[in-house]
Order: sequence, then C-alpha cells, then structure tokens
Amino acid sequence: MIEFKDVTVIYDKDVVGLDKASFTINSGEFVFLVGKTGAGKSSAIKLLTGEIKPTSGDVIIDGIIVNSLKRSKIPYLRRAQGVVFQDFRLLPNKTVFENVAFAMEIIGKSKKEIRRKVPKILTLVGLGDKGNNYPHEISGGEQQRVSIARALVNSPSLIIADEPTGNLDVETSADIMKIFDEINKMGTTIVMVTHSEKIVNDMCKRVIQLDNGMVVRDEENGVYNLGV
Amino acid sequence: MTFASFATVACCLFLFGVFFLFTANMNFISRQIESQCQLTAYIHPDVTDATQKSAYEAILKIDGVENAELETKAQAFTNFKEMLGDRADVLEGLEGKDFLRSSVKVSLMDIRNSEAVVKKIARIPGVEEVRNRQDIVGKVISFTDIVKHGSIIAMIILLIVAIFIIQNTIKLSVYAREREIKIMKFVGATDHFIRTPFVLEGIIIGSLGFIVSFVIIMLGYNAAIGSISGIVSMFAFVQLESVALLLALCMAGFGVLMGAAGSGLSIKRYLKV
Repeated sequence: MIEFKDVTVIYDKDVVGLDKASFTINSGEFVFLVGKTGAGKSSAIKLLTGEIKPTSGDVIIDGIIVNSLKRSKIPYLRRAQGVVFQDFRLLPNKTVFENVAFAMEIIGKSKKEIRRKVPKILTLVGLGDKGNNYPHEISGGEQQRVSIARALVNSPSLIIADEPTGNLDVETSADIMKIFDEINKMGTTIVMVTHSEKIVNDMCKRVIQLDNGMVVRDEENGVYNLGV
Repeated sequence: MTFASFATVACCLFLFGVFFLFTANMNFISRQIESQCQLTAYIHPDVTDATQKSAYEAILKIDGVENAELETKAQAFTNFKEMLGDRADVLEGLEGKDFLRSSVKVSLMDIRNSEAVVKKIARIPGVEEVRNRQDIVGKVISFTDIVKHGSIIAMIILLIVAIFIIQNTIKLSVYAREREIKIMKFVGATDHFIRTPFVLEGIIIGSLGFIVSFVIIMLGYNAAIGSISGIVSMFAFVQLESVALLLALCMAGFGVLMGAAGSGLSIKRYLKV
C-alpha cells in the first residue's frame, strides 16, 4: 500500500512540486497520475523511488516511511519496484536478453536463475524470439517491452511507469497497455503517469489528477478530462 | 576516454618521477656541499705529541662529529709543499721549523650544530683555536633548506594538480557512462556495486600509467645523468639503483591512488540519483 500524507515538495527558488498532497493507493491497484506539465506528477514519481525527499509530510510504501530511509537503503526500496520510462533507457551495447538480465545481475541473482527467468519474462512481453537482438535492431514498441520486462524480472510489487507510451504510436501503445493490464491482473500495483487521453479513457482505471502540486481529482474508473 | 585517462596518469607520474629524482639529486648535492664544510681545530704548537693525540681523540668523541683527521706539523708541511707545486722552492730551508701548526679537520654530522661543536672543541686542552667558516656555513644551510622545503611544497602542488587533472579526465569517462549508472541506480544497484568497477578501472589505469612512465624514467635517467655529468663534474649524482625501489613504490602508490581516488570522486555526483 502507498500513502502520501500531506506531502509538500518545494524545490530551490521556491518552485512548488507538490502541495499538501494526500492519497492512498492499495496493493494491486492500477492508478493513472494525470495533470498538466509542472502539475507535480514527476515529483510524485521521484518521491516513490526515493530520488527526492518531501519538504514536509510522509511517503509510506508498505509501512516503510520512504523519506526517513537512509541513502544506503534506497537501492533495496527500488528492488521492490520496477520503473518504466518514456525513453526506454536500454543499454545499447547489450542484447535484449542482457538488458533484462542486467537487472538480475545487479541484485546478485545466480546465472542459473537468470537463464531460467529471463526467457520466461521475455515470452510474457511477447519478445521470446528477440533475446539476441540489440535495441537498435528492434522497434520502439519492442524496446518498451524490453524495458517492461526489465522492470518485471525481479518480481516487484509496484511498477512505476513514467509516460511509457509517450514515444509510441496509438496501436503500439494499446499493445503495451495490454501488457500492463495483464501484469496488474497478476497482482502488481501500477502507478502510471500519462498524457494520453485515449489510454486513460480506454483503460477506465482510477485517476488522480494533480494541479499546481495539489490533488484536485481522485476518481475510480475515471477519465482523462483535465478540465481545460 | 580510457586512453585519455591513461595518458594523463602516465604524464603526471612521469613528471612526479622526474621531480622525485631532481629532488633526490638536489638533496644529495646539498649533503656533498655540507660535508665539505669542515671545522679546523689548531693544536697549540707547544703541546706534546701525547696531548695532541688525546685532543684528537677527545674531538672524535664529541656528539655531532662524524669524522676527524689529525694533520701533524710534518704532514701540514708536506701538504703545503704539494700545494705550492712548482714554487715549493720558497720553502727551502724551512723544513723542521715550527712555523706550521698541527690541526684536526672535523667533519660534522649536521653543520647546523657547528657552533655547539666549536665551543666544545675550544674547551679541549691543547686546542689553541677553532676555525669555522660561519659565512659559508650559513649560506650552505639556507641553500639546503630552500631545496628541502621547496621540494616538499612543489611536490604537494604537483600532487593536487595531478589529482585535479585526473579527476576531470575520468569525469569525462564516467559522464560517457552516465546512462548506464542511472539505469543501474533505478534497478536497485547499491553505490558500492556501481563504484567498484570504476575504482578498479582507475586502479588499472593508474598501474598501467605507472609501468609506462617508470620504464621511460629508468631508460632516460642514466642517459640524462651521463650528459649532465659531462658539464657539471664537481658533484656526484644519485645512482638510479639506490632509489629505484623507493621511486617505484612512490610512483605505483601515487598512480593507484590517483586512479582510484579520481574514479571514486568523479562518480560521486552520479550516484545521487
């Protein structure tokens, strides 16, 4: 479970990231974070990954107050999360298999386990036959699938996706969203930032809208409508 | 970028090695100059040979005296004659006359103690006069002090500049791998896990830089000393064999430290993700 309790983030030069934002996300939920540029979506994501700390308030994940964690404990928090970015962030000099395996190597998994698990995950995201390809040899949609596979491979309880379809066409985006939906059905919590009206409206999941750092809307089965 | 780091480390180590040998030679030459600054204790002409001998033995026992040589009247006459060379005939008929005094030439462990030693020698029975070239001694002391302190300061400056240059060079190499580091951070890699390969790479770069620069110095030193000796023949120079081990240890330590510290410091800001 994720809890934001009166979370305020103020950056240098008094720029407000979040302003007393409070919400709770239960385990297994699929939540869209929407809002205009500068509304506070990125701040919320950075708080979840421990990249920044709130100026005031608490961010609690599964009972752990993230903002009180020591810097040395942040890597262990991230091992229970999978992060998917708009720009995929794959290593160009590693194959698809190696990119996914990399996430397991980093946390000290054995080669045997890596050889067993990576093909399974690649099959799950529809890339069972692309393991030996390099990122530049596959399409943008496929690169994002690799990035999802990497986020999934350590079986995280939470997937954080920052505009995962931002660089993809409509059809590919729909395919990617199907994968996220399937992952969510397996019990993984998903928090996704998106600017895609179509995706939010098609998925019909919970929507939290931010504006000037404040939570201005929190709807079950919501739609994109930013009220512009 | 790795080659740039290696080349920078090698150049810095080469400069360090050259400077090390320059300092070693300057100190070596300083010691030679210092050892040439002797005291001369003149023995009273009327004392017996036994008193003269006991005065000499007393001088040898004084703290701070490295060595002493007794020059009897007869030896003084012979030496004087030799010094005059072709004009030695002016001494004809003077042989056996007591116009030269016996003396003890005293070498000191440290010429900074010369005044104290002079006082002690002056109190020894049979010693008539002690001559100490205080003017020359003062100049030699200030020269050797400048060499010693100057070399320490220059070495520290070189070290700081070298670490700064290397840190910046390695920073470029780390910058090229910023993406990889960020990804590692987001999939839960610890700082230690990310830093270790960079520090190891720094150590390897430092070690390779050491090997190359040390070989160049080993090959170049004897040739350089050979040609300098032809011009400056009044001083002996440090033999490479006598300092090679210390130089190798310093250069290797400096190289590994520069590589490891340079990498460790360069990567620090990228770990704050």
